[in-house]
Amino acid sequence: MTNIVVLNNTEHRGLRVQPLGAEKRNFIGVIVNEFSHLALHYPILFSKDADTGTFYCGAMLGFDLEENLFAADGAKVYRPLNLQRGPFFAAGTELAIDLDSPSVGSGEALFEASGEPTAYLKSMLGLFRDLVPGIERTRIFTETLLGLKLIEPIDIKVSFDDGSARSLAGLYTINREALRELPDAEVLNLFRRGYLELIYLMTASLKQVSILANKKNSRLLEGVTGLS
Amino acid sequence: MAAPLFFDYDVNNQRGTSMQPIKDIVVVGGGTAGWLAASVIAARHQTRIKAGSFSVTLVESPSVAIIGVGEGTWPTIRSTLKKIGVSETDFFRECDASFKQGGKFARWTTGEDNDFYYHPLVLPQGFHEVNLVPHWLAAEDGRSFCDAVCEQGALCDDGLAPKTIATAEYEGAANYAYHLDAGKFAPFLERHATKMLGVRHIQADVTAVKQKDNGDIESLQTAQAGTVTGDLFVDCTGFASLLLGKTLGVPFKDCSDVLFADTALAVQVPYDRPDAPMASQTNATAQKAGWIWDIGLPSRRGVGHVYSSRYMSEEQAQETLAAYVGPKIKDLKVRKIPIRSGHRATFWKNNCVAVGLAAGFLEPLESSAIVLGELSAKLIAEQMPANREVMDIVADRFNEVTLYRWGRIIDFLKLHYCLTKRTDSQFWIDNADPASIPERLQKLLKVWRYRSPWFFDEFDRLEEVFPAASYQYVLYGMGFRTEIDVDETAPTARLAAQLMRQNSVMTARMRAELPSNRTLVEKIRTFGLQPI
Repeated sequence: MTNIVVLNNTEHRGLRVQPLGAEKRNFIGVIVNEFSHLALHYPILFSKDADTGTFYCGAMLGFDLEENLFAADGAKVYRPLNLQRGPFFAAGTELAIDLDSPSVGSGEALFEASGEPTAYLKSMLGLFRDLVPGIERTRIFTETLLGLKLIEPIDIKVSFDDGSARSLAGLYTINREALRELPDAEVLNLFRRGYLELIYLMTASLKQVSILANKKNSRLLEGVTGLS
Repeated sequence: MAAPLFFDYDVNNQRGTSMQPIKDIVVVGGGTAGWLAASVIAARHQTRIKAGSFSVTLVESPSVAIIGVGEGTWPTIRSTLKKIGVSETDFFRECDASFKQGGKFARWTTGEDNDFYYHPLVLPQGFHEVNLVPHWLAAEDGRSFCDAVCEQGALCDDGLAPKTIATAEYEGAANYAYHLDAGKFAPFLERHATKMLGVRHIQADVTAVKQKDNGDIESLQTAQAGTVTGDLFVDCTGFASLLLGKTLGVPFKDCSDVLFADTALAVQVPYDRPDAPMASQTNATAQKAGWIWDIGLPSRRGVGHVYSSRYMSEEQAQETLAAYVGPKIKDLKVRKIPIRSGHRATFWKNNCVAVGLAAGFLEPLESSAIVLGELSAKLIAEQMPANREVMDIVADRFNEVTLYRWGRIIDFLKLHYCLTKRTDSQFWIDNADPASIPERLQKLLKVWRYRSPWFFDEFDRLEEVFPAASYQYVLYGMGFRTEIDVDETAPTARLAAQLMRQNSVMTARMRAELPSNRTLVEKIRTFGLQPI
């Protein structure tokens, strides 16, 4: 369950939050502002919101439903803003928090004894200043690509050394052939809007799928040797 | 030494008539058939229309109302709409459409309360690998044929949609068609055809048809828009059959000796609550002298009593409909629609081809009206004769295929009636009388006593309206028995068992994952479906 309330420095003065609370999920929504960081570690793909069918951009974290292969890396690897934000939400221009989140309890304090926000909370406020407009920018980016028919489904099929295999459906990427056939005027428009760079970051990030698969493969094999 | 050969070649005549390219198409009639035909032809010849070397004009009478009771479609409508470039989201929003996953036929076999079967739109599992009928018959486990071999009956039982909001436009987890408001569908197609496909729209009453010496239609005289000329005329004038029937004198072939229904009483029934469940299938409930259709659209239900006036008076028919709808029928307007079952002897004569009701009409038991219109329009668009010289050849082929289709639909509709075990009225007794059953169907029924319909069963056409699977669902839904030879089925028994197990697993998964028909249609209206 969730219990989301707007944050204030009287009721929530003593609240503490675990900043590295690892989310158990294999895909997380991301924004275009962070593509250059993400592409170094994660496959950046499109998926559809299960409730509305709307396309959104996300980073792939694992192959199985609740598998986050980056959970153990902590802060060593860039974490998508949607993971960094932990239990916080934007409520208009105010910050809200899910009091029922498992990340709430111990960890970083949110307020000084004086009621001033701590450096951690300030970093969260800064994060949302990027995240909120970034979500809108990402939505327009996605819609533009969809309108230009530049998005196509991608089947990710991986076999692991323990004999198991995974087949991921419902993921989409850039249609490179359609991109090549785009009229010059559209290409120029994409370039001027900074979209071309984002597009190439997305296509380059597909290489991360096999790196991610290797990561999982090693874990599976560790599991096997652990048993023997 | 070879001498050069000379032919007597009347160049002027060839240029003047038979070699004349077919480039101006005139569709007469602005109902579902007319706009569908105009859209399909215009979409197929878009490049030529844009280049200015081809045109499609639709002439519509501003004073003739469209019939517009066709509310059921076949899955072919999805590829048709996609091909003409319509967005499925727009279609749902503007045509009051819902998902249709087949037909539920109640009380057709015994007339009892628990008597029903489904004719779903998906093929039985592994249909192209193995015929599951003998294996299902051998299992005798009490499951209906439909439930044993496919998921769709269960999806309909639960009122589920065939896909989710994350499924792309025109794609489905299960095969589907639509229920729609025909009164909204024709204007929807009109907007698309005129705005996007370059179809010219002339609103005028045709007052006279001018023919050439060879009988070809040269032009239409209209009251409001002068003369309209064309190379090919598509008659979509509904029951009037103004061009093919009245002008070219092609006779009507009545088939009321096979299909007895001749009248429909139609009514639009509001839901009790706006969020009332919306059925995912067409309900067809048999009555004493006919049957009642019940189609769930998002904003209302369409209900109608199809009956034979030879077996029931209009008063009794009204009472039957009232008993089905309930007391609220008192406030509703019941519309009487004559059904003249049959079709034209040929469909393409001279430079005129009929599509829709102008070609013929059959009771809406299997929603064959719109699908036949689509298939005809597609055939015309694909086979568009290059010139007048080859038109007769194209016409012959068109007539052969279309006549075959009408014949098979008549057979298939009759199948629903003639397998009945009902003897509670003369209507049902007469329907089972071999004298009323077409010979071809009688022969097939004999063959099917020993071998169930599958491939190689004369259903050999590329675009069969009702494939062998449809016959399987109706036959075994109505308790038809085919003798089985265990030695013959043994080699595929394991595969069959596996397919039926797979079906159970898939059915359970889909039941858990799919939203209700009402929920998804509402979501489509709010969020839209994605193009991919």
